Amino acid sequence: MKIQNRAIVSLIHMVFFLLTAQQAKAQKEYMFNSTGNVCYIHYTCYAPNNDYENLKRPFIFIIAGEGKTAQEALEKDTLKNLPQFSNYMFVYVPNRGSSGTEKLRCIEALASLLTYNYTYGRANLFLQVNDKNIRQSDIESVKLQKTFKNIRLAEKTDSTGLTVQNNTITEDFKENTIIEDPIEDEDDKYGTFYIEEDKKEDTETNAKPNSKAVKTYFGPPQTFDFTLTGIIKDRSTGEALPFASIQIKNTTKGVSSNADGYFTFQKIPTDTATLTVQYVGYEKTDVYLTPMINKKNFIIELNPSSQTLQAVSIIAVREDVLLSKKEDVSVIKMTPKKLEQLPNLGERDVMRSFQLMPGVSASNESSSGLYVRGGTPDQNLVLYDGFTVYHVDHLYGFFSAFNSNALKDVQLYKGGFESRFGGRLSSVTEITGKEGNQNKFNIGGDFSLLSMNIFAEVPVGNKFSSVFAFRRSYKGPIYNKIFESFNNRSENATGSPQPTGGPGGMGPRQMETKVTSFFYDLNGKFTYKPNDRDIISFSIFNGTDKLDNSTSFSAPSFGSNNSNFSISSTDLTKYGNTGSSLKWSRKWSDKFYGNTVLSYSNYYSDRDRSQERTVTNSGGEETTSSNGIFENNDLKDYSLKSDYQWDLFNFSQLQAGVFGTYFDINYTYAQNDTTTVLDKQNKAYLTGAYLQNKFRLFKNRVQFVPGIRTSYFETTGQLYHEPRASLSVNVTDRLTLKGATGRYYQFANRVTREDILSGSKDFWLLSDGNSVPVSSAIHYIGGISYETNNYLFSTEAYYKEIENITEYSLRFNASPGGVSYSENFFSGNGYARGIEFLAQKKSGKFNGWISYTLGEARNRFAIYSDSYYPANQDVTHEFKIVALYKYRRWDFSATWVYATGRPYTAPSGAYSITLLDASTQDFFTVTSKNSLRLPDYHRADISANYKLLKGSKGDRKRREIGYIGFSVFNVYNRTNTWYKQYSIEEGEVIETSVNYLGITPNITLSLKLR
Amino acid sequence: MKNGLFILIHIGKTVSQRTFFLLVLCMYFLSFTSCKKEEVSEFTDSPIIESYLEPGNYLTVKISRQIPFAGTVTYSEDDLNNLTITAEHNSATHTLTSLGDGNYIDSSTIIAAGEHYNLSFQFNSKTVTAYTYIPAKPLNMTQSATEIFIERVDTSGGFPGPMTMPEPIEINWTNNDGSYYLILVENIETTLDPIRDFGDDPPPGNRFRKSPTNLAVEEIRAMEFQYYGTHRITLYHVLPDYATLYDNNSTSSQNLTNPSTSIVNGYGIFTGLNSDTLYVEVKEQ
Repeated sequence: MKIQNRAIVSLIHMVFFLLTAQQAKAQKEYMFNSTGNVCYIHYTCYAPNNDYENLKRPFIFIIAGEGKTAQEALEKDTLKNLPQFSNYMFVYVPNRGSSGTEKLRCIEALASLLTYNYTYGRANLFLQVNDKNIRQSDIESVKLQKTFKNIRLAEKTDSTGLTVQNNTITEDFKENTIIEDPIEDEDDKYGTFYIEEDKKEDTETNAKPNSKAVKTYFGPPQTFDFTLTGIIKDRSTGEALPFASIQIKNTTKGVSSNADGYFTFQKIPTDTATLTVQYVGYEKTDVYLTPMINKKNFIIELNPSSQTLQAVSIIAVREDVLLSKKEDVSVIKMTPKKLEQLPNLGERDVMRSFQLMPGVSASNESSSGLYVRGGTPDQNLVLYDGFTVYHVDHLYGFFSAFNSNALKDVQLYKGGFESRFGGRLSSVTEITGKEGNQNKFNIGGDFSLLSMNIFAEVPVGNKFSSVFAFRRSYKGPIYNKIFESFNNRSENATGSPQPTGGPGGMGPRQMETKVTSFFYDLNGKFTYKPNDRDIISFSIFNGTDKLDNSTSFSAPSFGSNNSNFSISSTDLTKYGNTGSSLKWSRKWSDKFYGNTVLSYSNYYSDRDRSQERTVTNSGGEETTSSNGIFENNDLKDYSLKSDYQWDLFNFSQLQAGVFGTYFDINYTYAQNDTTTVLDKQNKAYLTGAYLQNKFRLFKNRVQFVPGIRTSYFETTGQLYHEPRASLSVNVTDRLTLKGATGRYYQFANRVTREDILSGSKDFWLLSDGNSVPVSSAIHYIGGISYETNNYLFSTEAYYKEIENITEYSLRFNASPGGVSYSENFFSGNGYARGIEFLAQKKSGKFNGWISYTLGEARNRFAIYSDSYYPANQDVTHEFKIVALYKYRRWDFSATWVYATGRPYTAPSGAYSITLLDASTQDFFTVTSKNSLRLPDYHRADISANYKLLKGSKGDRKRREIGYIGFSVFNVYNRTNTWYKQYSIEEGEVIETSVNYLGITPNITLSLKLR
Repeated sequence: MKNGLFILIHIGKTVSQRTFFLLVLCMYFLSFTSCKKEEVSEFTDSPIIESYLEPGNYLTVKISRQIPFAGTVTYSEDDLNNLTITAEHNSATHTLTSLGDGNYIDSSTIIAAGEHYNLSFQFNSKTVTAYTYIPAKPLNMTQSATEIFIERVDTSGGFPGPMTMPEPIEINWTNNDGSYYLILVENIETTLDPIRDFGDDPPPGNRFRKSPTNLAVEEIRAMEFQYYGTHRITLYHVLPDYATLYDNNSTSSQNLTNPSTSIVNGYGIFTGLNSDTLYVEVKEQ
């Protein structure tokens, strides 16, 4: 109630304040309340830097001398001319009333209003009293000492009260840069960390290593409305930081660095402005500009926040694992540096971490690919250093193909993405690889129960840097567990008999199992910077999975005759990715930047799940026959693209580019060694161009990005136009409204091959414009976010219309007049809609987030149903909690995920048909498509990491060299169902649930040289 | 508008964040109330049709029900022996007569090659329909041999010596249009004389078949014969929908193909076929 009253009163004040605000050059006069009100005051504001909007600054309130007006107080005041106070706001209040307390009345209300409820904390509120009649007792009686940090009285008092001091004025009224966070414990017992001192030339920033940024220049500014260009880097490794944000402190005016870390900031009002630089996983840092800086090649260096200096932690707001970008619609950003804080299954994983955010489904343990807002993983474009990665799974999808040791930056665009991306219906994951330490050699590794992971960073001279990372699984306990959980099908059978184990079930005969499964991946990146303008980098990635669960046995056949009989059952899946890109970036001028990428990407998958029977008869004659599934998918993508950005004006950035891709996608599917069910080979060019412009209007409060992308697809011979636009409005510094819409086309799709009995699989196919049409989507997104220093609340709603999606099913014969399996592609349409909520505590020792998504994904394929039915990936409710806690050298984290079970289709009945030879053949009927739901998915994970430090306490060179991590996946051992399998034994259906992982503990040791 | 914006700003600034977001939350939930309840149908009582239409025979149909997997399902009220099934041929419609056990006959229609037949009846409030035509009799069916000599295999005295395998019998016919053909081999002796000792295994049946083929040749190998005596070789000219029944017979459990999509609102097979016959003697060497 009290809050509401205050709100209403403040609201009236506010509106009045806004209506009566008058423009004046040097000062501004305002009225507080209206005549008749006790608190009717004519007061005057004065900002030495002429900035009347910023609230995150110190305020000095000055009460005029006896009987004087605000204007008189202003004229008499000298404080306003001190350079130390150049960024302050002065508020002159007239002296009214008779008694001391009467004169002080209303000051608190005014202070609260003008600072928007103490935006910058009460530690930055100061009061100067110029009336000798006002005494300390008066101050205390109206409790102003609680409102103001320091109060100076006109006459020195003998009081020892701490709130009323009289030292030097600049000391008393000094800006207090501590960001108020009541939870943050200033007395950090965490240990002292110092980054290693590097003997390299000092950079242009005033910030020196091991100390916080300090304002050193108090003189008047010399340049106005100038353009600053430069680069943002990691202080310890020299790596450029892509997509970092730079803002003029306490304003919404800002820019982002580009993919190579370069930025161009136009129209900075003065060369004494303060810039706030943020990058997820790094300290938010203030940079104080001076007239002496290099405006053409300004280097800003950030400290990784894991190496928080005690001194720095005061000024820096620690940004945590994930960050939603305020001005961009549906974008989440993450730095792999912070991933270790989240619970993991042996590998820090970027894709898994994104799955903890709203709108990205977390209930797919078997897919590292992202299900974003009712989309499927193939509708998510994954770009790694410019090349497209078509398959991101390792080990049945439990791990992603990306080694976090080789990554620098990852951004996820959940929808409504810009015109510079294309070829996907749902979302974009943009991954930038590390360039490697530019200064010193570094080596490190992670060792877990699952895999080992080694990386090295080798700089050569100061122009060349390189990174190598290699990861390989070994058959440790976790690997086996995952492998078995996929291959063991005898859990939870609801029918009467259990399926007999092993193919054939031939009794006591010799049986061998040879299992040689593994995955590995290799990343390399070589970067050459011949000068300040050019960067040439070559990035290569190779990953392979081999999953082998083959068995073989042999026996003398049928009693005692001399023929031999052997069956080998093969279950071999081998797949992998190879990708590489050669990229040339050039800063043509301060305002024109371009890069060109030549890339190659290959994904292949060979699956052989078959039985080979070899019969050697007594004559030594061998007969071999194979039966089963043989599936091969091979995709090649050769691309060339050029992207340019031109900072036309300070409010407009033009981006344009051209692209061309040659696809070569093959898929074959055979059911035995002679019957090829499907053989698709498609090749085609896709070329096009895009144009978009980023407008920042109304003092950067509005960001509007319209764009168009046009593609020509050789197969269909058609042009595809994709108009798109996004808009974000910073209603206040904290409140942002967002919206986006756009059209999207996809030419290469992963088609689902429906398999009710043993789980559906999918494969990549290029649209043939006929049985596999070009799919398309339209997005509509609206959202609102509210962000303070410590908290972020955001909600976004989306609606997507999807057309021409394809599924492959052998459940239907296309026509009785033919058995051409290539006709078994079915097209349909669908839609997805939902709303996401996120509440995040961004900083403090205890932080994390809660997210909830209400979603709906529906498809309509005429072959399955006349009406919309739930799509395979449909999840109605999804709730996630992530909690992170820091205690001394420990990082603790816990996550909990809950999601509605996915839909599935099951056999509903059976019937037999008597064939011409009088034998019978059984057939099944199935439920209507996806009419059943798996049990709800939920799971909790916990982890604790203990930081390893090198050097003794107090040593200036003491630093973190790694950690030991303990994690438990699925703490309460929930049995979550992956999918159901069915087999028919003697006329009865046996339902088997294939389950996800149960409780799985893991230990990781991570070490690095620096 | 301007004031509205200010109020919005102001709410954001002063009212506690929680209240504000609850408000937003409510707004969204209100605008998101159009979620529809899906229709869940786990089991649909659809009829199973079995009917092979062969020239010279009457049109017969067998109707049955699916066996549900779940214990508790409700069947429609239709009586399998009391359906009104109509067959349409040459614009003439006949109602079939029930023979009991779901069997029906149209004794006024004798199936003829090259003709089209349509079937229709009501079941579970839906109209079930099916159609087919009768393919031509196989042309020019020939055999490479009329007899085959196979050594008797006697395993009682240990391993026999190397055996000589006789040449397989080749069956040829004319297939110009890639039609499907199927060969069925049946021993027509009254008493079966086994070629080899089956040991503890149950003795195989007196017939075997080859997979459907769209070629014009098929081989019958000596080892496929289990008994001595006269065998009848029937070459069926079948329709693709019948051929697909056999595709499903592979070891893979990849799909739940329901064959013959000529049946609407039901399952099973309603297909025409035509055959020719030859004989082969299996003799002891």
